[in-house]
Amino acid sequence: MSLDTRTTRTGPALLHPAYKKRMRLADTLQILCVASVAIVIAIFLADGGAARFSTPADVFTSLGIVAGLVGTDLLLVMLVLAARLPPVARAFGHDQAMAVHQSLGKPALYLILGHAVLLITGYALAENVNVFIEAWNMFTGLPDMPLAFLGLALMIGVVVTSLVVVRRKFRYEAWHAVHLLAYLSVLVAIPHQLSVGGLLSEGSIARYYWLALYVAVAGSIVVFRFLLPVVRSARHQLRVASIEQVAPGVVSITLTGRKLEQLRATSGQFFIWRFWAHGLWWQAHPFSLSSAPSGRGLRVTVRGLGDASRQLPQLARGTRVSFEGPYGLFTENARTSPRVVLIAAGIGVAPIRSLLETVSFAPGHATVLLRSHSVGDTYLVDELTDLCRVRGAQLRVIAGKRPKGVSTWLPADAAKAGITLKKIVPELTSSDIYICGPRPWTDAVVRDARSGGVPKKQIHYERFDW
Amino acid sequence: MRARAVALATLASVSIVGIGWQLGSQAIDVSQSLTAFTGGTATAATVTATTDAAAQAAATAKAAADAAAAAKAQADAANTAASAQAAADAADASTAAANTAATAQAAATAAAASAAAQSGTFTGAVVQTQFGNMQVSVTIANGAITEVTPLQLTNRGGRSVAISNQAAPILRSEVLAAQSANVQSVSGATYTTQGYLRSLQSALDTAGF
Repeated sequence: MSLDTRTTRTGPALLHPAYKKRMRLADTLQILCVASVAIVIAIFLADGGAARFSTPADVFTSLGIVAGLVGTDLLLVMLVLAARLPPVARAFGHDQAMAVHQSLGKPALYLILGHAVLLITGYALAENVNVFIEAWNMFTGLPDMPLAFLGLALMIGVVVTSLVVVRRKFRYEAWHAVHLLAYLSVLVAIPHQLSVGGLLSEGSIARYYWLALYVAVAGSIVVFRFLLPVVRSARHQLRVASIEQVAPGVVSITLTGRKLEQLRATSGQFFIWRFWAHGLWWQAHPFSLSSAPSGRGLRVTVRGLGDASRQLPQLARGTRVSFEGPYGLFTENARTSPRVVLIAAGIGVAPIRSLLETVSFAPGHATVLLRSHSVGDTYLVDELTDLCRVRGAQLRVIAGKRPKGVSTWLPADAAKAGITLKKIVPELTSSDIYICGPRPWTDAVVRDARSGGVPKKQIHYERFDW
Repeated sequence: MRARAVALATLASVSIVGIGWQLGSQAIDVSQSLTAFTGGTATAATVTATTDAAAQAAATAKAAADAAAAAKAQADAANTAASAQAAADAADASTAAANTAATAQAAATAAAASAAAQSGTFTGAVVQTQFGNMQVSVTIANGAITEVTPLQLTNRGGRSVAISNQAAPILRSEVLAAQSANVQSVSGATYTTQGYLRSLQSALDTAGF
């Protein structure tokens, strides 16, 4: 008789199989991304680039070429991240993909700016003229350069309007319209890469690789960013079925449509919705599902924060709804541990409510924490209470204002008393923690969980603020 | 990124860049191997072309001389665009020393190479590139290419002029060494090379070379 070694296992060793698969996919995508940068550098070297560093003019020119190659490669990576490609969404989730997209913006712009500045300087040195004359010579003398300069100007505009300070001054739709010019700026830069860039000259393998890259990126944008949402919206024919007031300014909207079971949405995910009503159709809203999706219908719960969200309670029944999605990894798919802690603040309760419905746990192995200013302004509490009773989860409402000037997610008195997440939920380290609320509050919860010894992979949160 | 992703990404990147480097240095080797023989001019003077082996030696010596001159021209050209032309001239002047060898080589290859080829100077077709027109003429004597003269070089933008002036002497010496338009492209001067060689090929076709 052999010993059963399984009983000697300790700690939360159970990894959800979906997690492993997802991390492998994430690794692969990250490696591809880094390799794409290596490939463009290799293209430069294969052309004998390593030998072109002998004079100052050559150094500037060679560095300028490399900066342009790497910068453009990063731009294409950014476009892929924003293209809502299914593997990217599966591996990183929409919000994390967009966070990386955002963080690449400035480096890409600096490289492209560097490309222009270095090449103008290098050419000017080689010809013994000053940089302004050289810039003018390039603009007028070389093929496709006016378009390239236009692309650079557009790109500066796109990145500058995306700087946090500047972006706050715009409304989302205005900013987004400017942001879409990024597509144009990438497009108009292509001709000069193919005609002026000797590296990608006709008949070279590098040229085919480069063109294939563009075709692949453009293809995924057209298919996944534009075509697929249109096709799916047309297929499922979503309409507003009912609107229910949850609290002052907070409504639950139920949508019905055709073949909803084929949407393959899961609890905790969100869609980007567009309600085809007067004054609303031109805006798209990311709202989370507030109950588990089924063939009968989808439900979102929305608080009237933005200007248009205020018009949502007045939506007529039967209003057509188009959508992009479902998106998000705030789901059972992200699980790594046997226990669950769900933490919500304000309207962040919506995805928590749908998660609680379907996320897997043994009775007694889940805790729901609701954070609010006062016991009265929590939403969907009745539904949560019922669900917790049925599924064997513990529900706690933590009410009270946050102290001023202290970074904590808890009310003033609790923070003062030294309460932490670990004290509220002793089994914290063997739990998956799902957090949904405003960004600074979410960050505070994440910090508390991390200092309670929870590994990053067990902490799940999603950000909606743009 | 997880540690294993970082490791694999690093490994992949290093190998990709390494392959690129390798490919690049092969290209550079081809264009620079000719410069490996120094003092070629001295040997060239002593050669009398009577046997194939001697002809071979002469060809090598001449190539070395040309390449050395070309390398000098290249270095000069890089310094200032203005002196590029002068450098090219200097290259021509210094190759004159190797002319004995060139003639010897021409005589040796004449029998083996196309006996039908006419002698004389032949003008190639005008080849249009993004950076301007290219045209060369080729001088053939006794069935061998003895000189390539650029008539028009790419000239759109001053940068292009600098590149052409740098590339033309290199291409000339490569062509004289290879005795055909089938030579390695000059790195950093892809369009100039293409135009130069295509115009040259058309001139060689006219000559029946």
